[in-house]
Amino acid sequence: MTFSLLHATDFADRLLYKIIPPLKAGMIVLADRYAYTAFARDATRGVDRQWVRELYSFAVRPDLSLYFRVPIDVSVDRLLARRVKLKFYESGMDLGWSANPVESFRLFQGKVLDEYDEIVREFSLEVVDARPSITEQQRVVRALVAKHVSTSHVEILDDESV
Amino acid sequence: MTSPSDAPDGANGNGVAGRYYGRAIPYLPIEGYPGKLIAIEGTDGVGRTTQIQLLREWLEVRGYGVVETGWTRSPLMQPTIELAKSSNTLNKLTFVLLYATDFADRLEKEIIPALKAGFVVLTDRYIFTALARAGVRGIDRQWLRNLYGFAIAPHLVFYFSIDVKSLIGRVLQSRGMDFWESGMDLKHGDDIYDSFKTYQQKLLREYASMADEFHFRVVDARRPVDRIQDELRRQVSAFLEPSEKPAETITAH
Repeated sequence: MTFSLLHATDFADRLLYKIIPPLKAGMIVLADRYAYTAFARDATRGVDRQWVRELYSFAVRPDLSLYFRVPIDVSVDRLLARRVKLKFYESGMDLGWSANPVESFRLFQGKVLDEYDEIVREFSLEVVDARPSITEQQRVVRALVAKHVSTSHVEILDDESV
Repeated sequence: MTSPSDAPDGANGNGVAGRYYGRAIPYLPIEGYPGKLIAIEGTDGVGRTTQIQLLREWLEVRGYGVVETGWTRSPLMQPTIELAKSSNTLNKLTFVLLYATDFADRLEKEIIPALKAGFVVLTDRYIFTALARAGVRGIDRQWLRNLYGFAIAPHLVFYFSIDVKSLIGRVLQSRGMDFWESGMDLKHGDDIYDSFKTYQQKLLREYASMADEFHFRVVDARRPVDRIQDELRRQVSAFLEPSEKPAETITAH
């Protein structure tokens, strides 16, 4: 609960300072993760789903939301191939489901992915298959974005995670 | 990102004492916990802290285990809140969420464990202060109530009621007017006295509007300390004794 609210506080601050002003100025804001991340993560940690949705009702609904869907095995393989150390909270180690970080990650992120499937339906996110090559995915992304905007100028304002 | 109006009424406790107000914390079931939650509410400088100290001593002499908690006292959030207050860059919505985070931390780490262990929890301010302050600052009331749906309805809420004139006298006699307690962030003007008066008047109206909704027991805070304490003790023992007789029946005065 506290974890959920801490993220919401950070989100509110960034929404008000970094998202809303450029939107008012007519710019395009690219957000790497959004409230949907909180919906998936907090529900997996046992927070009431409806409560989190109501909490974030102050968020601006995006014009387009892309969800990069990947099977859990691919996700684990990619992370381990880069030899990154799995992060404590990203692996849901705080939940005590497994003492093994990889196993815990698999269990936790597996449940997070299930939550995302639900969210995709509820909020009509556009699903991008994240298994093909980067170029292949970019083609899909460009096609989706092109349906919503016609512009020659895109500004990246915030690349922090939610 | 639903609007509050299309959300179904999430209340499951319906304000029943010792239950969650609205959407619960699913992983922390609290039904049947033996402890009691007593909230002392009221605006700044109304005398809450003094009364809580006296009440605590009295309860302990009678053999009750007592835990105290107060607004923004969470070890996790207090430094952040102080920092945010000093820098004056935070939006009111962000402030509301910071306070809620502090409250969630204390609820999970202090209040719920103490209730589980059978303590009497005395809380110096509760969510009503947050609701009043945010209400004055124009935050959507329904959203606030949903937000604080994870709060536990106290067994007793004592609301220390006072009029602005008496309050001004008390505050000036003790520690003086402070920036936030005067609502200077609302930019009612540069004069701290006028701002304090306007802001506290609005706050008092907010508190008063919650009295029925949250079953406040209204205590006239203009009376002398002992008189108020007597009234609190009378009401607290009338509530506690039917469920558990005190270990020590001598009343400490």
